[in-house]
Amino acid sequence: MKTHWLIGGLAGVFALGALAFVQGGDTEGAEAAAETGQPIGFLHNQHAGAEPGQNNMNCQYCHFSAERSVDAGIPSVASCWGCHQVVAGQTEQAQTEIARLRGYWERGEPIPWRRIYKISDHAHFPHMRHVNAGLECQQCHGEVQTMGVLVERDPAWGGNNMGWCIECHRQPDPVTGEAQASVDCSVCHY
Amino acid sequence: MTDGIKTDGLKRRDFLKVLGVGGASATVAGCGPGEVERLLPYVVHPEEITPGVATWYATTCRGCSAECGMWVRTREGRAVKVEGNPSHPVSQGGLCVRGHSTLQHLYNPDRFHGPMIREGDEFRQGTWEEAEQLLAARIGISGNVMFIGAQMGPTMNDLVDRFVGAVGGTRVHHDAVSDAPLREATRIAYGVDQLPHYDIGAARLLLSFGSDFIDTGSSPVAHNRGLARMSAVEGHGEEAATKGRFVYLGARLSTTGLNADEWLPIRPGSEAIVALGMAAHLAGANASGPYANLLRSYSIGQAAEASGISEEVLTELADRFAAEGPSLAMGPGVGAHHRNATAANLAVLILNDVAGDVGRTVTVGNGPTAASSSFSEIADAIDAMAGGRVGVALVHGTNPAFSLPPSSGFREAFEQVRFKVSFASAMDETAAMADLILPDRHFLESWDDAMPRPGVMAILQPVMQPVPHFDSKQAGDVLLAVAANVEADMGAATFYEYLRGRHEAMHDASMGDFATMWTSHLRDGFVDHSAMMGAGMSTPPLRAPDQALTFDVPALDGDGDLALVVYPSPRFGGGEFANSPWMQELPDPVSKITWHSWLEMNPATAEARGLREGEIVRVTSPHGSVDVPLWPYPGIREDVVALQMGTGHTDMGRWATGTGVNAMTLLPATAEQPSGAFVTMATTVSVETTGARRRLATIEGSNDQYDRPIAPAVALADLGHAEEEEGAHHEELQELQGYGGVQPVPAEDGAATAFPLPGADHGLYAASHEQPRWGMAIDLDKCTGCSACVTACQAENNVPWVGEQQVQMGRDMNWMRIERYYEHVDATHASELDVRFLPMLCQHCGNAPCEPVCPVFATYHTPEGVNAQVYNRCVGTRYCANNCPYKVRVFNWYRYTDENVPEPMNWQWNPDVTVRGNGVMEKCSFCMQRVRDAENRAALEEGRPVRDGEIVTACQQTCPAEAIVFGNLRDPESAVSVAIDNERTYKVLDEFINTQPAVHYLKKVTFHEVSGGH
Repeated sequence: MKTHWLIGGLAGVFALGALAFVQGGDTEGAEAAAETGQPIGFLHNQHAGAEPGQNNMNCQYCHFSAERSVDAGIPSVASCWGCHQVVAGQTEQAQTEIARLRGYWERGEPIPWRRIYKISDHAHFPHMRHVNAGLECQQCHGEVQTMGVLVERDPAWGGNNMGWCIECHRQPDPVTGEAQASVDCSVCHY
Repeated sequence: MTDGIKTDGLKRRDFLKVLGVGGASATVAGCGPGEVERLLPYVVHPEEITPGVATWYATTCRGCSAECGMWVRTREGRAVKVEGNPSHPVSQGGLCVRGHSTLQHLYNPDRFHGPMIREGDEFRQGTWEEAEQLLAARIGISGNVMFIGAQMGPTMNDLVDRFVGAVGGTRVHHDAVSDAPLREATRIAYGVDQLPHYDIGAARLLLSFGSDFIDTGSSPVAHNRGLARMSAVEGHGEEAATKGRFVYLGARLSTTGLNADEWLPIRPGSEAIVALGMAAHLAGANASGPYANLLRSYSIGQAAEASGISEEVLTELADRFAAEGPSLAMGPGVGAHHRNATAANLAVLILNDVAGDVGRTVTVGNGPTAASSSFSEIADAIDAMAGGRVGVALVHGTNPAFSLPPSSGFREAFEQVRFKVSFASAMDETAAMADLILPDRHFLESWDDAMPRPGVMAILQPVMQPVPHFDSKQAGDVLLAVAANVEADMGAATFYEYLRGRHEAMHDASMGDFATMWTSHLRDGFVDHSAMMGAGMSTPPLRAPDQALTFDVPALDGDGDLALVVYPSPRFGGGEFANSPWMQELPDPVSKITWHSWLEMNPATAEARGLREGEIVRVTSPHGSVDVPLWPYPGIREDVVALQMGTGHTDMGRWATGTGVNAMTLLPATAEQPSGAFVTMATTVSVETTGARRRLATIEGSNDQYDRPIAPAVALADLGHAEEEEGAHHEELQELQGYGGVQPVPAEDGAATAFPLPGADHGLYAASHEQPRWGMAIDLDKCTGCSACVTACQAENNVPWVGEQQVQMGRDMNWMRIERYYEHVDATHASELDVRFLPMLCQHCGNAPCEPVCPVFATYHTPEGVNAQVYNRCVGTRYCANNCPYKVRVFNWYRYTDENVPEPMNWQWNPDVTVRGNGVMEKCSFCMQRVRDAENRAALEEGRPVRDGEIVTACQQTCPAEAIVFGNLRDPESAVSVAIDNERTYKVLDEFINTQPAVHYLKKVTFHEVSGGH
């Protein structure tokens, strides 16, 4: 009999977990997806936003290697599906998008995301040095947690404009008063 | 909007508008919305991979039968670099040029895309199921299976034996190059059917009787390290410094030979008489043991007569060989396999025995398990095939249609086989004749094992998924599938199961749990039980010979006036590396020639015949002829010419086919007795001009230093009191300035050229910085010129290859080169030999001539003392290269990185280094990506600065001779600071032109007096 209790309890925890994961809705998804060529109308705000009805997830839950690698990382299909096999979406729109995700998972295909942020090949940007120096992701990528489907870069992003990088590197260090990060070319270009 | 200034014709503003529109449309075409870059996530993330972080795997190099330990760096599931495994008992962290080039075979675009089935004159791609069924059916119909294979791992070897037993066939071993005479001599002398182990590092006097042990041979990396350690100077200053001495006795200087301190250019074939004469002299009247009678019949006088070296020299050498022990003598290797090569190797073993070296520097029972198959074996197989006694021939890991001379009749005999199968992964001459090709996997995609020497066992693991362009299957798996098809039980369904099962069966339970052992085995790359195997067996007494042997100088075929040496190439081995553009473009360590073949002839001989460098000559032996350009080389006897093996392929992919000539064409199919080895030193040739000439694709400017101390040396006797005068080269400096161009940088107060040069204490690199100053020390006394660093650098830094024509035009792009200067090479007298090797890379000058001339500030000095090159800023004026006194800057003239690098060769690119395009200058960066990586890791893990030794440059990592040290010059405790705190330290040309390089060299140490201070 104890087994039944255990199973019931587990199912309850699962259901609660699923409910706790607020299932909000935004109908912009499909149109935006069609316009932008993103394969799935993935809403950053639904996942990372702090507004009521949004899930306030940490960026690094999905962009898992930003803290320890030069690359921030993008989540595997399995990682998305890990949640979405129990989070089915409340609006019709959300359900359509999640069905697309299921399609990729079942076919064993990677999701061909359209890349939005890219720094030139001749520059090397180590994410981990910046994250560990205490920078917020938003300082470069903009308020992604308020955006729906990512269509274009945040206007503030100047990743292909070196002056924008240098401006930050040159800020005086509060302790020494010297530039807070090196502006030597070979720090990024090699 | 206001109008611009009007001029006649086009308005300036209109011109700018046109330019603007053009620019905008170009932008749209280049990066507009039409071009979408995709970010592809994993479907399921492999837990061992973090994007952007390298994952390393331990495995074993299968480049040759030395089986060095290898670490493979993978990024996002692709192998991008191979390095030596520093804890490996054989190779100790070094890796040779061929080891690096195995990576190019993995991504070789000429690999087969799947099993190939012959239909008439063509091949059709089939499925594996179809191919395996076909093979099983043909085995069923024809029977009489013959498996022709090269050296392989113990488990694969076992599987092949079982397979051949199950289908009722025979097995033939064939390696393109093999040490069979040495193995047979060891068996005759000691009853151990194995190669001996040489402890070169422990020797104080080393004699090589034509053994080219760092070029090729049974363990080139380990032997290279041993040679460097042996010749390194011990002791300092006033306490008498010592170093091991190396004497080369042979007709032609290989890379190994060029490292000798003395060269005795003995007549080819006279090794046995010289060794026995020396041994007889040492043993004297007291000769004992089974060879006492033999020794009584030889003398130094006979040795002198046979070799052409004076009696005094040989007597002195023999006395030193006994007195300066422990000494070591090594017998003839592949390049000197003449008709009495076993006898010569036996004679050299006897010499070691008489001098008391056996048990000290020569041991048996723990030698390398390297390739030592005999030619007789394949010759018998040829007879069987020609006689129609072979139904199905399986060829694995070897290419006899290329590596055997045409006169062996292999091709004709192989044609007689009813069904011919090749396991080649890419086309070669043997596969081209096959009926069925079953492309094997590369060793970096495979499970396998290796036993480089007794007691050392290594597991090879796949470091990545098989390259998806090629539908390959491991030969072991194919054999198991075929065995299942013919209903033979092999006890496993896959080769992995077979391998693991075999190791589990051998596992000693007292050593702990098998699964744990297996995991640690994979992590370490090897298990070393050699210490437990006991040393008692290493000093057996000599045994009486069980074979009749002739120690005479053997006769050569034909009546040509020049003897022909055919030697295995340090780049191509026996030819299996010829389709690697890294190997083709690597300057040969001896000749500095790339791509094509050349004939080596002594300059005196060439002059007597009126032949000049680059002249195409026809080399004719009784067995064939080739046309090849001439390269005069003082390191060869006047009555000898030499050709390398491994080039001149007719069917081997885009880079090998048609490049160079095949020296085998000139050789007879002769087996040496009693080892049965293939005889490379077999024939005389005649050399005549064809009247044509060509420019050699060489990177060499000159082999002469013209009295400039570029690679100076210091005599051993002068160490400790070589008080070089300040401004010793003042006169030379003034003379150089007389030619113009070499003007010292004036001091700030405008004072002219007082010595030492003004500015010598500052330069552009200001001393007040707290950052490290990166620098390097290269010990020229250790450097053997093997060029492993050059290929390691090319692999690490995405350096493209340019091809033969572009090299001819001086557009080679290697960031490193090994300069080779002759100071004293004399083929006519037994004498000292003085050849200088100098690894030349960007010197990272403190006062860099390239920097002030760049109009766009693309090259500049970093606060870390590195001369940096900013590719995206470079506009390609090439002023910097013109102003570089070291010629270390290279320019990308064409789209070498795009057009020369077909998919999937580009998978090898290091993602941490920018791939440079055309129109951009580039050069050594001191592996800045490795500096940054070490800094990032140190900051991430502990928030600390980098420690000494954490940054290892690619050239330093691979160096088998341990000649390169990198680190912070500002830290007096760092390894590099300690290394350069040496009286031998100098900086190239610094005292002439005040460049203040960060690369420091340590002078070579010679036994003889150095003329003119360099």
